[in-house]
Amino acid sequence: MNAPLPSLSDRVSALPGCDKALVRVLFGASLLALALGVGFGWLTALGRAGVAVFEPQQAARLLTLHGVTVFFYWLYLAQTALLLVLAGAERNGGGLALRSLAWIGGALMLAGFAVSEIASITGTPLLYDGGPALGRDDPAAVGWFSLGYLLLGAGLAASSASAIATVITRRNGGAGGALSAVGFALFAWAGFLIVSAIAAVNAFLPSVLWALGRGAFPANQPTEWHILFHNLHYLPLMATVVVWYVLVQALTGVSSMHGARFSKIVFASYLLFVPPTSLYHMFLEPNLSETVRVVGSLLSLFVAVPTVMAFLIIVSSLEAHGRSRGASGRLGWVGALPWKNPVMAAIACAALNLGLGLTFAFVLIQEKLAPLFSDTFFVPGYFHFFAVGTVSLSFLAAMMVVLPALTGSAPWRPALLCRMPAVISLGLLIFGAAGIAAGYAGVPRRTFDISYGGGAPALWHTLMTAVGIGGTVFALGLTVLVLGVARSLLPGPKDSVVQQPVVSWGDTPLRSQVAAWTGPAGVVLVVVAMALFTIVAFDLMNALPLTVIGGGGHSH
Amino acid sequence: MKEDALLILLVFVVWAALALIYALVPSLGMPGYVRVWGAGAMLFLGLAGLLAVVRR
Repeated sequence: MNAPLPSLSDRVSALPGCDKALVRVLFGASLLALALGVGFGWLTALGRAGVAVFEPQQAARLLTLHGVTVFFYWLYLAQTALLLVLAGAERNGGGLALRSLAWIGGALMLAGFAVSEIASITGTPLLYDGGPALGRDDPAAVGWFSLGYLLLGAGLAASSASAIATVITRRNGGAGGALSAVGFALFAWAGFLIVSAIAAVNAFLPSVLWALGRGAFPANQPTEWHILFHNLHYLPLMATVVVWYVLVQALTGVSSMHGARFSKIVFASYLLFVPPTSLYHMFLEPNLSETVRVVGSLLSLFVAVPTVMAFLIIVSSLEAHGRSRGASGRLGWVGALPWKNPVMAAIACAALNLGLGLTFAFVLIQEKLAPLFSDTFFVPGYFHFFAVGTVSLSFLAAMMVVLPALTGSAPWRPALLCRMPAVISLGLLIFGAAGIAAGYAGVPRRTFDISYGGGAPALWHTLMTAVGIGGTVFALGLTVLVLGVARSLLPGPKDSVVQQPVVSWGDTPLRSQVAAWTGPAGVVLVVVAMALFTIVAFDLMNALPLTVIGGGGHSH
Repeated sequence: MKEDALLILLVFVVWAALALIYALVPSLGMPGYVRVWGAGAMLFLGLAGLLAVVRR
């Protein structure tokens, strides 16, 4: 993390107008997707709580729209916009290379957004994985739905190619110079996006061909989906730590005390760990050999290594600089951070939510527990800590820095926005605690009517009511945050942007043997919590009067 | 960009090895893994080459 000059905001401001226009369109579309997805999700939560009643077909359509809109279009439109704007900033005023390809990519993604939404609203609801088995009698629906994802994938590939070209031609043509740590991260991230586009073609092209009458029924689609889905787990987390890396520098001026080379190794490790850790998605396949199960279990332990390493780099660097500046007490350096800046509040909440998400992710992906929990509400209970609490908060934090630099327009009511990450996290805590408890209690994941003719345990209804309350709280917080961030998309009065509070720790000489234990302590806490909840899960499993066997795919 | 190219080359090695394993052990029964990790390996090989060329 060599401190770049000028600042990120200045480099974003210096982008050519046509590049600014493109990323503004992409940011705007991503925020629209998030707003729509939050709406669909909130209705889903109300349906699960029993407050709103939906017919099974309506419920499936809501789930489809929520998943497609948020998991695909919010996360990937936002990633593309961030990738392009950060790549452009790396080039420091030179703008995007292969600009026309970036525009074509953006247009393809927007076309995919439109096709996917229309297909989800009008066709047979296929859920977000687009499983053709649900649309066997409606090939047109399967074809259009799959086409939407293919357009998204093509757009990702084209935009990523532009980002790669931009990064390697940064600063005076770039010849001979090593990439910065951020430049390398963007390069690796863009490559990974292109691979995911390939995985999308592998998963969805057969469905389109079948719908056109030019191919056999894509019976293997669930397995091919798992490959894409594995990438889709990693990509937003990789993007999140890149965003943290950039934003921490913008907020505090702190560079990694471990050097750019080590940061590059960590970013490369995301790519190194992707294929070997993919097997755990297959744990529900009944025909999977015992050898593959054992190997997959061992490899799954490495799934969080890159994210934990990146977290440790950032937190230890911050702590060492904070203590070297004289911060005292166990957490005095934390108190000295710029907490009145909504970006800081969002990153901090994102880190806490990441810890919670990791804890329960490791419970879920264990080979003996995956069959027990994968079709219960445990899954949405834990993954919203990642999808909303970690990734979405981080992306919105990045937009709070980038959008004012693009448009010259300040975020709406930053003091209010500063409180929203805590509101969202509180809602998530209620939603997640109740949802995970519901999973332990056996509440099914995608069945809205869980009364089972009065035979369901009373606890189920109580827990799902809490899920509805938590979902409402975090949907409200997210809506306020999205509206506040979106305000910066519109041009504002000249010089209306007021610099949000930051600190300047970057030029502080590091004291020798300065302590930096907070990050490792956080990781230990996650490991202890993971062990505790695993014990609870095994106790629960051993108490069940039946044997759980797999069936279908691990398709959460 | 030597270290950059080497890191991306390492990615190619890991992905290609995994693709080979899936290709050479048919009992794993996952041809899609061969296609995706294999294509990814080729992509990262190309990107490593690109970094090496840009360095010159």
